[in-house]
Amino acid sequence: MSTTHLPPTDVTSGKPGGRRYGFRRSFLRQPWTFSAILVAGLLAANLLAEHSILAPRYWPSLLGNLAPFVLVAFASTLPILGGGGGIDISVGPQATLTNCLLCAVLFPHGLGSPWVSIPLLLLVGAAVGVVNGLLVAFGRLQPVIVTLATFFVVSGLALRVSPGPAGLASGNWTESVAGRIGILPGGLVTIGVVALAWFGLSRTRVLRTLYAVGADDVAAFSAGVNVNAFRIGAYVASGVLATVAGIALTGVIQTSQPALAPTYSLVALAAVSLGGTSLLGGRGGLMGSFFGAVAIFLLQDLLAATGVPTSYVQLAYGLLLVAGVVLSGLTSRAKVS
Amino acid sequence: MTDLVSSTVTPPTAASGREPNAGRLARPAALVRRFPIIQMVVLVAVYAWGSVRLEGFSSASSLRAMSVLAALLALASLGQTLVILIGGLDLAVPGYITVGAVAAAQLGGDRHWPLWLVCAFTVAVCGLAGAAIGAICHLLRVQSLVVSLGMSSVLIGGVVVATNATTLGIPPASLSSLSAVMSTTFGIPAPPVVVVTIGLVAATWLFLSHTVTGRRLYATGANPLAAEEILIPTGRIRIGVFAFGAAFTGLVGILIAGFSSGASVSTGDPYFYSGLAAVLVGGTALGAAQGDFLRTVLGALTLTGLTTILSGAGLGEGDTRILYGVAIILVVLAYGRGRRLRDRL
Repeated sequence: MSTTHLPPTDVTSGKPGGRRYGFRRSFLRQPWTFSAILVAGLLAANLLAEHSILAPRYWPSLLGNLAPFVLVAFASTLPILGGGGGIDISVGPQATLTNCLLCAVLFPHGLGSPWVSIPLLLLVGAAVGVVNGLLVAFGRLQPVIVTLATFFVVSGLALRVSPGPAGLASGNWTESVAGRIGILPGGLVTIGVVALAWFGLSRTRVLRTLYAVGADDVAAFSAGVNVNAFRIGAYVASGVLATVAGIALTGVIQTSQPALAPTYSLVALAAVSLGGTSLLGGRGGLMGSFFGAVAIFLLQDLLAATGVPTSYVQLAYGLLLVAGVVLSGLTSRAKVS
Repeated sequence: MTDLVSSTVTPPTAASGREPNAGRLARPAALVRRFPIIQMVVLVAVYAWGSVRLEGFSSASSLRAMSVLAALLALASLGQTLVILIGGLDLAVPGYITVGAVAAAQLGGDRHWPLWLVCAFTVAVCGLAGAAIGAICHLLRVQSLVVSLGMSSVLIGGVVVATNATTLGIPPASLSSLSAVMSTTFGIPAPPVVVVTIGLVAATWLFLSHTVTGRRLYATGANPLAAEEILIPTGRIRIGVFAFGAAFTGLVGILIAGFSSGASVSTGDPYFYSGLAAVLVGGTALGAAQGDFLRTVLGALTLTGLTTILSGAGLGEGDTRILYGVAIILVVLAYGRGRRLRDRL
């Protein structure tokens, strides 16, 4: 694929690399440049529309509302980076399954304590990821079809678990995920933990190998890389991150809402493609997905602040996804030629 | 889009040629590939199971009702079938159906537009959306899945904005007779949608197997690079197939509004799950350019039978989705496996 011709600087974790270039040059070379500029523009527009948005007292709730978007975007980035047509459409249903399990099963059955429920939910998320990964790697099925089928199954499970909306009693621990954990905003903690783990991984060989697998799986295989293990690992990580997103989502909405599944899959893909991650694999990273998700969040906020009816939100999501894909296609084409 | 998908799937002939006992298995394997024999056996098995389990399952009236449901499902998946044949995937099917159904209810029912104008409007809106998907996928080489997912949201979001999520009118009564269970077609004792579906099975077979354009469609799906090398206009094929599929699915949306005597912004949602399942369970494989509309009809009949049996046993919407997902995985494991990495060196 075309991505193999890129200079090695593009394979970094989104850190401005390449000492030979000046800062400006290296900033413009990053895959996430466009989304970062978009975020800056939208932030300015938001400030004009509603001056108080950045007041410190709003930070916890702002970050809490942002966290589910960013986390599903992170979740769907990893399988895409792994290449081979890798994609995880099932992140939305995985997040809503977590949400439904928490609201309709764990809390009503007295298993709502964070020490019990979080490990259980993470286990479920990892299990869905293992199924996705095994079917892709050893079943040799197309990731699109596999994750679409798990999309069906997982969203069906969520509907079974919670046919109607089940609310949570106020004062439960998930509220602090969308508010404050100790002195820190909950959203900062959930996003920060993932970002730290990513930074840690980017210091090791693991992430570089994932990029190599994504850029050219056959070459990586002949160099002795266990391609299947990396692919399965990417789907498991995706399942775990989608679960964290589901917990963050529960903190915000406080009820079970299985119908949100397609929206979150869509937002995740839109954020990833706006963030400059190539859908062909091997290029991009979490930084881009972060900016992409923030851009979508800010746009939705801007629409609300300027009095646009909420019925426009779905239209806006759709347009953003199409725009993101066109953009990601245009930039990867420009790099090739 | 397509080069991603098709390059990882073994061409069917190469696969069977490598097997040690290819000589003995070649004839039955070729027959199974050419004719949907397994699908028919599964279909007969499902209906046999149904008539044993449920009383009145094989009565004339219940078979008629199921044939209408299956016909609507198959018609709604015709566009998807063609798109999958050329190696794409169209997740905007619920969007097209919603546009058609809401247009029938709102424009045809409330504002009394004549039916042809409603149809023309639907064809224009959905056709443009489909053409846009095809063009973006072709020019930028991106996966049609992602673009069509976005387009679906644009279409449904557009419908929400246009109707302001108010209650919608009832589509004109003339539409309902097309899909009413007890209606007849020019004296034939079958509802018009069923007759149309049977006619389309023959028409799509003639088109796909016996016209140049039809063969080009298969060639584009089997190997887009090779197709371009032999001067097949793959861009025109992709844009045309997506646009036709979208416009046709939109028209089926009008029929669906007539069948259910109403429409809402979520009318198309069930077809997101069942439509794709019908195509894939029917045995049209993504990225291998194998399949036709007959297989989709068989898939739709099988799924309609299965859901009738299972809803008789008290299974709900959630269970149906789980069933579709599992069925897709099983079927794809049977036909659609890719090559090993060590074979791609």
